[in-house]
Amino acid sequence: MKNRLKVLRAERDWSQQDLADALSVSRQSVNAIETGKYDPSLPLAFRIADLFDMPIEQIFLRD
Amino acid sequence: MTESAASSGPAKARPILWGFAFVFAMFGAGIFARTVDLNDFWSMAIMVPPMLLLIPLIRSGERRGSELGCNSQALVRYNRRSLIWSFTYMIALFVAVMAKDRLDPQGAVLWLVAMLPSLPIFYFVYTLRAYLREEEDEYLKMRFVEQALWGLALLLVLATFYGFLESFGAVPHAAGWLALPVWAIGMGAAGVWMKVRGA
Repeated sequence: MKNRLKVLRAERDWSQQDLADALSVSRQSVNAIETGKYDPSLPLAFRIADLFDMPIEQIFLRD
Repeated sequence: MTESAASSGPAKARPILWGFAFVFAMFGAGIFARTVDLNDFWSMAIMVPPMLLLIPLIRSGERRGSELGCNSQALVRYNRRSLIWSFTYMIALFVAVMAKDRLDPQGAVLWLVAMLPSLPIFYFVYTLRAYLREEEDEYLKMRFVEQALWGLALLLVLATFYGFLESFGAVPHAAGWLALPVWAIGMGAAGVWMKVRGA
C-alpha cells in the first residue's frame, strides 16, 4: 500500500521523530510506514489521519 | 534529522560485536571445560564471565536502538526481565549441579534437584507474555513476533533433522534443554538479519 506520509510530513516541516512522538510510536515505525515496508493497522491509520486532519484515503492509496 | 533508520559507523557494530563475543565466549568456555576435563564446579564457574557479557550486549543494543529510534519502554523491561531469568537460570543450574555432586540425592529429592534449573523457564514465558501485552508500538511488536517465529522455525528444523539422525544412531544424544538456546540463537540471528536488511 502506498502512502503520502513523507510528503505530508515534509509539508509541515516535521521530522520522523516529530511524527513518531505525535503518534506515540517509534521513529522506526514511521520510517517503515513511509518506505512501504509496513502497513499500519486500522487504528494507527486513523490516528495518522486524525493528526493530519485528513481522510484515510487521502493518505493511504491503493497499489 | 536522519530520514532513514539505516546508518553506518562503529556505533552500529557495537551490539553485534558484543553478540559475537558472547557466543564465542560461551562456546569457547564450554569447549575448554570439556577439553581440559574440568570438574563440575569449575565447569560452571567458567561460564560466569561469558554470561556477564549479556549485560554490555543488552545495554549496547538498547543504546543503539535509541539512536535508531527502535526502542521502547516495553523492550527495555523485556531486556531487564531476560537478564533476571538468565542469571536465575545460571544460579539454579549451579545449585542443582552442586547438590547432585555433593549430596547424591535419590528418589523424589533427585527429581526436585533435576527440575530446579527448569523452573526459571516459567518466568521466561511470563517475560514473553508481558512484552506482547506491554508493547504499544505495533511495528516493534510485529518485528518481535517475526523474530520469535524464525527462532521457532530453526528449532523445529534442527530438532526434526537431529531427532531422526539420533533415532537412526547416526549422531549422539542431544539434551532437550538445548531447545531454548537454539530458539534464542535463531531469534537473535533473525534480528540481525532484519537489521541488515533495514527492516
